[in-house]
Amino acid sequence: MRTERKAALAVFVAVLITGCGSRVATQPQPPAAPRPALSLSTALATSAAAWATIPMGAPAGANLFWELFRIPAGGSRWALVTPPDVATNGALVLATQGGQSLAAGVRPSLHLIFSPVTGTSDGGQAWTSRPPHRGLANSPDALAAGPAGRLMALGSNGEADVNSRGGAGWAKLTSARALATTAAGRACRLTALSAASYTPAGDPLLGGSCVRPGVTGIFAYRDGSWHQAGPALPGALAGRPQQVLRLSSAGTSNLALLQAGQGPGASLVAAWTTDGGKHWAQSPPLALNGAHPVSTAFSRSGSAAVTLSNGHAETTTGPTARWRALPALPAGRSLTLAFPPTGGLDALAGDGSELTVWRLRSHPVSWVKAQAMKVPIQYGSSS
Amino acid sequence: MPGMNSGLNPNDPTVVAAFKSALIHQGIIALLIFGLLSLAWVSIREWSLGTRSGAGRQARQAEPEPQWRQLLRIGFGILWIFDGVLQAQPAMAVGLPSQVIEPTAASSPAWVQHLVNWAGTTWSYHPIQAGAAAVWIQAGIGIWLLVAARGPLSRLAGLASAGWGLIVWVFGESFGGIFAPGLTWLFGAPGAAAVYCVAGILVALPERPGVSARLRRWMLPAIGLFLLGMAVLQAWPGRGFWQGTFHGQPGTLAGMVQSMAVTSQPSALSALVSSFGSLVRAHGLAVNLVAVLVMALAGIIFLTRRPQLARSAVIVLTAFCLADWVLVEDLGFFGGLGTDPNSMIPMALLVIAGYLALTQAPAPAEVQADPVAAPAPASLASWRDRLRPAALRQSAAASSARTMASVGAIGLIVLGAVPMVAAQASPQASTILAQSIAGSTAPLDAPAPPFSLTDQHGRPVSLASLRGRAVLLTFLDPVCVTDCPLEAQEVRQAGALLGAQAARHVALVAINLNPSYNSTGYLQAFDRQERLTQVPNWHYLTGSPEQLRQVYKRYGVASQTLPAGSMLGHSDVAFVLDPAGRMRTELDFDPGPGTAATKSSFAAELASAVSKVLKQS
Repeated sequence: MRTERKAALAVFVAVLITGCGSRVATQPQPPAAPRPALSLSTALATSAAAWATIPMGAPAGANLFWELFRIPAGGSRWALVTPPDVATNGALVLATQGGQSLAAGVRPSLHLIFSPVTGTSDGGQAWTSRPPHRGLANSPDALAAGPAGRLMALGSNGEADVNSRGGAGWAKLTSARALATTAAGRACRLTALSAASYTPAGDPLLGGSCVRPGVTGIFAYRDGSWHQAGPALPGALAGRPQQVLRLSSAGTSNLALLQAGQGPGASLVAAWTTDGGKHWAQSPPLALNGAHPVSTAFSRSGSAAVTLSNGHAETTTGPTARWRALPALPAGRSLTLAFPPTGGLDALAGDGSELTVWRLRSHPVSWVKAQAMKVPIQYGSSS
Repeated sequence: MPGMNSGLNPNDPTVVAAFKSALIHQGIIALLIFGLLSLAWVSIREWSLGTRSGAGRQARQAEPEPQWRQLLRIGFGILWIFDGVLQAQPAMAVGLPSQVIEPTAASSPAWVQHLVNWAGTTWSYHPIQAGAAAVWIQAGIGIWLLVAARGPLSRLAGLASAGWGLIVWVFGESFGGIFAPGLTWLFGAPGAAAVYCVAGILVALPERPGVSARLRRWMLPAIGLFLLGMAVLQAWPGRGFWQGTFHGQPGTLAGMVQSMAVTSQPSALSALVSSFGSLVRAHGLAVNLVAVLVMALAGIIFLTRRPQLARSAVIVLTAFCLADWVLVEDLGFFGGLGTDPNSMIPMALLVIAGYLALTQAPAPAEVQADPVAAPAPASLASWRDRLRPAALRQSAAASSARTMASVGAIGLIVLGAVPMVAAQASPQASTILAQSIAGSTAPLDAPAPPFSLTDQHGRPVSLASLRGRAVLLTFLDPVCVTDCPLEAQEVRQAGALLGAQAARHVALVAINLNPSYNSTGYLQAFDRQERLTQVPNWHYLTGSPEQLRQVYKRYGVASQTLPAGSMLGHSDVAFVLDPAGRMRTELDFDPGPGTAATKSSFAAELASAVSKVLKQS
């Protein structure tokens, strides 16, 4: 082959490689499967009211706003009570100590990298700021309210901090790393903290994920040290690694939502304790069949409800009660279930600026539209 | 007010007026350059002829310029001038980086985006100077190519064309999109500027017989090889060019055509392109087959180097290029931000030049009479001798009009480049950005309303306690998610611009704009977030809600609760107080999109306002 022809062939191949190579290089790669996170859409209840928070407005970005709704005991309609003067694009994290009081933390978003915290003691009519936290974790139980107005916060840096009413700032209580080095932490091989709560006696409770199978990562802070305080799951679940999805106070008890195992064989268990984790009562396991929990709600009497990623929803009324499948969920871009103080179960569905409340009817079991509300979202206010 | 996204509009009247003004001023200087050069040349020439009355005219041997080179030189010269004119469109100064350069890079790999966005940011710091530079550099290169027919100056023009083309190809066209998916010759790959580069290099090649012979032999086959590669790429399965539609959506080519049809342009052209888009949707396979065949056959024929066949192929390919230019590339220069007529016209020029190189035999040398006696051979004189006034005068007198026009064109390039380079030497963005976003500063002369609040450390601070220092005063919400953090950065940057010495004479003061979050803890959290804790003259003040509302009222600052999870609605305003406590300037302070350039621009404007007050006091 002549030199000129060789050169021509080389150039031709180079052109082809450049063209084809550029295409191959920019082929989209399949994304790694993200670990499903529990949505911050949630509801909690006290003797005086139920509270629920869901995202509304745009599906994402600066026009997504988390809204807070409240229904009083004896009332039949939900009202918008989102704390004023702070942008809620990053999500609201709720905690209550009972009655009309509620603490709300705002997760960082856009140019804000810390978490404003505010609270109400009159059902959301007036709000008073609490010291800002350095950045709340992406967990529905990243904020907990204890006796005498104490607050506990889980930070996105893995630390748990406490603030007493009137205190100017937050003090570090512990961290996932520090807790993992305690006897209780070593026993479960703690990897991360995911939930915070207080016992009825006012002791801090922390929940997390354990690597060691069969150990539930719930820890109580008593007498100056951390103690393992999680339930032992029965039967086949005992051999699986466990995660604490929720850890909340409900009236005079604490309620935990646990996931045992991962993937298609994972199960969900609700557990209740009235003595700070010394003794637990458990629900039967709920097989997730490959789905994962999306949104959760607790009632003051100890009922729990959960929506799943496969569109199903389940509820349980308390220890030993079986999980009960709920009718097909109403439509809505965001949705959470909530237990009004007067009983029953509501589904709050948000779509843009529209909130629709569906109430569960007993006979026949179905969702009926109970309320529709236009939420005055200020689109563009965070842009 | 927050929520009104006050992004910099490419057609903003402030920027457009400044751009026009810069172009007019530089245009006058350009005319002066050409006028003075002409005057000097004529004068020197007349004087030299007069003093050297006996000198005979010396004839010199000159070989005529090959036609292919002439075509490239003149063709690309005209194209560069046209591109320069396009660069003078009003929206170009602000719109080019944000609406052309960065979107073009969006589908390229991250490293390309990083490189291109760096250039876009650099441009956006000084949009007026950058926009004007592009106008004059391109016009200068175009004129230079047109007037410099032969010799070193002509070859230098080719080099300038190739060099600037390379810059445009890398930063303006993101490497012509060769690293992005959907690469197709029909839509401009591998970039019009790449063709300008090739043409520039060809013009810049030495005019030696060996080089010319090789060029004659290889130019058209090289184009043929390129076309074959592009044909293979066009025919490659799975790239979406064979389908008119795909799952109900337009195929790759149909999508490209439709995207062009919706740009701002004459309705007749839009209708024509839309119709072609419909044709591609309906007959995607047939259209792509025609395109692949034309490219492949032309490529093969060019590789054979048979003049008769090549002539037919050149005619067909040129017609194809023109059709593609209209129907697919949509002429390329409409929409207010078109920078060039895209790739098909340069490509057609290159193809015809390749054909001419193949078929035109070198013309015999002619004897050209130079109107002025040539100086002694330059190689015999040292550069010092050549720079002596007498030698320069002699050289100027001996120069042709083309040479002098070339020097004028180089002057045009320098005229564009120098202000741009000088502007880039400053790390601060032009204040024109801040003025276009928020309007000009308003002069004031009134006593500043008093306040008595506490700072972020809980210490009392009043207006009276700041007496003796100039005060840059603003109002910031510590839990704001959008503009307040940007404004804090601008104030911090303004403080840095004023320098450590000025810090003793200037106080940077912000008053908490959110009465609901008024504890010092929030001010400290904000300071940590914005890295203000180390700024010694920074005072972030707060008070009770009543105290704060009184201050807002006195300064005419709005602070309004908005419903449903919105942050506080508030004014974006800053005041400059003189050391005697009088308000001297009010600045609208809305940072808009908050790019690095706009932040820098606001900071420069704030620092300038404070400096002015310091000088006056």
